[in-house]
Amino acid sequence: MEESVNRRLPVVSASLLTLIACGTLLLAVPPDQKSQTASSTAKKTAAPKTPEAPAVSTATITVSGVADIDPTKAFGSKSAPVVVEIYSDFQCPACKQLFLNTTQKVMENYVNTGKVYLVHRDFPLPMHAYSRVAASYSRAAAHIGKCEPVEQALFQNQEKWETNGDVKGTVASVLSPAEMKKVQALVDAKTLEPLIEKDKQLGQTVPITQTPTSVFHSRGQNYPYAGTLNYDVLKDFLDQLVAQK
Amino acid sequence: MMQSAPFNYRRIIIWIGRLVLAAIFIYAGYAKITMGRSPRPPLGVALGFFEMQVSSYQILSREASRFVAHTLPFAEIALGLLLLIGWQLRIWATLITLIIGGFFASVVRAYAMGLQINCGCFAKPEPLDGMTVLRDGALLLLAVLMTVFVYMEARKPHPWNAAESPTL
Repeated sequence: MEESVNRRLPVVSASLLTLIACGTLLLAVPPDQKSQTASSTAKKTAAPKTPEAPAVSTATITVSGVADIDPTKAFGSKSAPVVVEIYSDFQCPACKQLFLNTTQKVMENYVNTGKVYLVHRDFPLPMHAYSRVAASYSRAAAHIGKCEPVEQALFQNQEKWETNGDVKGTVASVLSPAEMKKVQALVDAKTLEPLIEKDKQLGQTVPITQTPTSVFHSRGQNYPYAGTLNYDVLKDFLDQLVAQK
Repeated sequence: MMQSAPFNYRRIIIWIGRLVLAAIFIYAGYAKITMGRSPRPPLGVALGFFEMQVSSYQILSREASRFVAHTLPFAEIALGLLLLIGWQLRIWATLITLIIGGFFASVVRAYAMGLQINCGCFAKPEPLDGMTVLRDGALLLLAVLMTVFVYMEARKPHPWNAAESPTL
């Protein structure tokens, strides 16, 4: 009797130890942790090559019946009696003339006084090689609050960057390194491209046949005008629109 | 004394010219005032908009642009009606030809300079391109022919008023 007990004891002990060891292993490493570990490992190995783009809103607004306005590319009071949309191409010489000679004065005398709400719409033309790139940088700059200096730089140096394609350098010249980093991240991520596409689609409904084209909205009526505008004459027209009752 | 036949090619062209040019002038004047909209915008807005289009040709001074913008639409309607009526035809045909000639010269100049502007002819926005030049050139040709033939026909007695030939 004692011999049979002595013979079985090692076997029973070994079995018990094995059971305890297996149970310990199972309890220590649950199945979920195993898969998470694998995925976190995968994430760590595939780190993003470019910095993450800053979080920006691509929401659009409607002002006086004019829909799909990117608020970062619009200026003035939303309660202004007149809304002016300007469809332009950064590589278009006539657009440069309009921006530098007329739009600036409209900003000073009508936008800043609450008479006009001005909306910049991008309409890059297919025959201009770098206008889409310029629109992307301008849009990204607008979303970090640097719309005006970048547009100014792009239009003023138009002849330079349309020759060598250095849109990035032109934009960087008016931004700090930190700002440029954010802009570049937005451009690379193509986060704001849908807004440019939306502007193009809206332009095709006007329809835009050339740039620049300005669309004046007042009292439910819209007046599209293609071509450059002399400020002195535009002023009279805007006064007429503002004075409408 | 030579007698004008009632239906010769000159008279046909005069009639075509009168009808076509009168219709175009009346429509052009009306379109500028109403901008092709119903209800039409305030007159000041419509004429202000037309003034921008006149100014875009970069020919006239600001005051001259304003004068043209505020008078041309009404002049076009009046001239079209006078051409249609046929009263004092030589005077109005000449005036219309001069106006079309002046406008054609402006269009050709703007096209040659590469100005990216609106024609400003009618209510619908119309970029100024080669087709605009051709169209206005054809209208000018018609107007010139009409005016020349009006003068030629005016020298001849009207067949209904011609004196009877003496009997032998």
